Amino acid sequence: MTDSPDATVTNSDSPSTEKGGFFFGQELPHGMAIVRILLPLVLLLVIVPRWPHARELFSADGAAAPLTRNYANSWQLPVPSGTVAVGLTTLLAFTLVTSSIGWCTRISLIASTILFTYLNLLDCIGSLTKYSVIATHGLFCLSLSSCGAVWSVDSLLRRRDLAAGGTSGTTPSHFDAWPRRLLQIMIGMVYLGAALTKMHTPAFFSSDQMRQWMITNVNHSNPIGEYLSFYPAALVVSAYVTVLWEVLFVFLAWRGWGRAIMLSLGVLFHFGTCALLGLYIFPLVCCSLYFAFLDEQDFARVGAFLQRLREKGSRIAEGMITLPDRLTGLIPDVRPRVATTAFALTILVVVAGGIETEYWLDPFGLRRAEGAYELVELDKHEVRSMLRDSERIQESDKYLSFDIGSGLFGDVIAHQRTQFRHGEVLIAQCTLNPPHEDMYIECNLHEHRVEGAADRIIDRVGQIVDRNTLRSSWEFFLFDALPPGKYDLVFQSRGKEITRRTFELLPAE
Amino acid sequence: MKRRLAICTIVCYLGALFYGVASYAVGFKVNHSPAMYFFVWDMFSGWAAYEERLKIIGESEDGNFYQLSPPPWGDYQPFSDLSRHNYDSHSNHAGAVAANTLRHTQHEPMRRVYVVQEVWSKKFNLPDELWADRYPEPKDPHIYYHLRQIRDSSGNLIQNRSTWYGHQNQMALRDNPRLIQDIHKGKPMFQVNPLNRGRDAGAGGRNAVP
Repeated sequence: MTDSPDATVTNSDSPSTEKGGFFFGQELPHGMAIVRILLPLVLLLVIVPRWPHARELFSADGAAAPLTRNYANSWQLPVPSGTVAVGLTTLLAFTLVTSSIGWCTRISLIASTILFTYLNLLDCIGSLTKYSVIATHGLFCLSLSSCGAVWSVDSLLRRRDLAAGGTSGTTPSHFDAWPRRLLQIMIGMVYLGAALTKMHTPAFFSSDQMRQWMITNVNHSNPIGEYLSFYPAALVVSAYVTVLWEVLFVFLAWRGWGRAIMLSLGVLFHFGTCALLGLYIFPLVCCSLYFAFLDEQDFARVGAFLQRLREKGSRIAEGMITLPDRLTGLIPDVRPRVATTAFALTILVVVAGGIETEYWLDPFGLRRAEGAYELVELDKHEVRSMLRDSERIQESDKYLSFDIGSGLFGDVIAHQRTQFRHGEVLIAQCTLNPPHEDMYIECNLHEHRVEGAADRIIDRVGQIVDRNTLRSSWEFFLFDALPPGKYDLVFQSRGKEITRRTFELLPAE
Repeated sequence: MKRRLAICTIVCYLGALFYGVASYAVGFKVNHSPAMYFFVWDMFSGWAAYEERLKIIGESEDGNFYQLSPPPWGDYQPFSDLSRHNYDSHSNHAGAVAANTLRHTQHEPMRRVYVVQEVWSKKFNLPDELWADRYPEPKDPHIYYHLRQIRDSSGNLIQNRSTWYGHQNQMALRDNPRLIQDIHKGKPMFQVNPLNRGRDAGAGGRNAVP
């Protein structure tokens, strides 16, 4: 769509130029080409594992879960038959590959966009997520662009065709910038929307929500996050930094230091979601889209840098600069029209092969020698106990943590410790799990419990916690009437001990 | 002509993006249609304090119980090591999952399908070493079960109940005697609104499976 080649080159440092403007400035689509190469490869990481289960996930022969079923009054999405679903999934995998390598790029991208969106809509519980929605937008913007004009099989074939006709085709055409601008604005709006979501959720800024996310098992393994969940003060800081970055991104990520800082923080943020929350694909999708923020001048700088390295004898630089010529040699010497015909034939072969392979894989086991699978029988008593009335939440499950330390930061203990001195203020804090009713909870000071000895109470302090409160704190002034030694703080609810913490009281310095 | 088409695309696309963000900001028709899912960026809109799993159980006419998910031919795990049906937070698709398993397995005739929530406090997800470091009491998770739905053997919904969270909230509210008294004062003798037919009688378990 953006095939209005023009020799006018924009000053890429400025998002708004005199000729062409923000949307219609002319540029080489290198940034979008990198997005085109990377994004489909990332999506293949999820599509390939789904392919053997395509019949189950996306067809009427399986357990399709179309998003439209969640909306009673909405139009209902047509659910394909098993064979069609397998064929479509195979086709999607193929077009993602051809999009990445840039073969019949626009057709591949349009097909990928439509198929990826449709199949995800058919499985809203296993396939449709926000990262797949972001990827859909990314594919959509790519299909509008001329990202196949550079670093692609199409461009190599075109160059060879022009060379055969006696024309020098080494200088690629320039195209309108607007698809890249749409992608950039989309990324900024995603972060702005995410910031609004967090602003609507007070428990995010108090660290309560992040703590729960870090200890859930619905995502991949995240041992660092599980450890960090016990340091809520750090989560409070990260919460405000995250929201600030998300709000500012769409305003500052266009040029200069603002762009460098916003994109760097973005990479750090997404790395954090991987390490702390166990998200793998989401960060990869977002980081692959970041290359849309690279301008023509960035690539010119990289090219000049590689050239300097090459002159100094660097083999890596030599390899990267000569890569297009070496790849050209791998492509058969055919005309673009023949290549397009080969593309269509390859689709037929791949799709037919995929359907046939899936048939022989027999995912439901219907054609096994021993026949269809039998169901696993469950213990009757166990099941009947599950089907009884729901019981109330136990008192011990209503609390998430009980910590002691000093200093409050964002309403959480800043410094958790177990040794204190006379004259200091000890803060005991319990974090509660929602939902809970209005409660009366106690934090009582005991002598340190020793086996065989009585559990003597020194001080008893209780307070009311209403159903909307998730945290409650007690302050104990450690006056010198308390002899140095070990003590216990006992957290009680409904008169029953839930947990206790031991601390050591030392003399004043 | 191409320039006009491009301008039209830009205006429509940016308009949709801005509409999504604005509608979410003011809470206007956010869940009005499936298309809004592509323009509302409500990631991380809420995480619960309890870990939840779904069990889909079939009851045969002989009174035996069978596991319907994960199916016997193997499991699809979309994000971690959890089966796909566990991500069906509203249980809207449990019937389709159950019907798929029944359709492709050998089994005796099924009378009912039960969708049960299995819930435990998330703190018990911590590794044993971290738990021992932070909690003096032994790690002993208590698991709660809550009957969420009853369906027929084709997966059609017969009875839909509140979620475990909704049920616990209701039980907490009903601990208030004055509130219960006010509710009973305001309850009509006859149910005249057809929409109120079949409403759950309460947390007292009148709709429990015998």
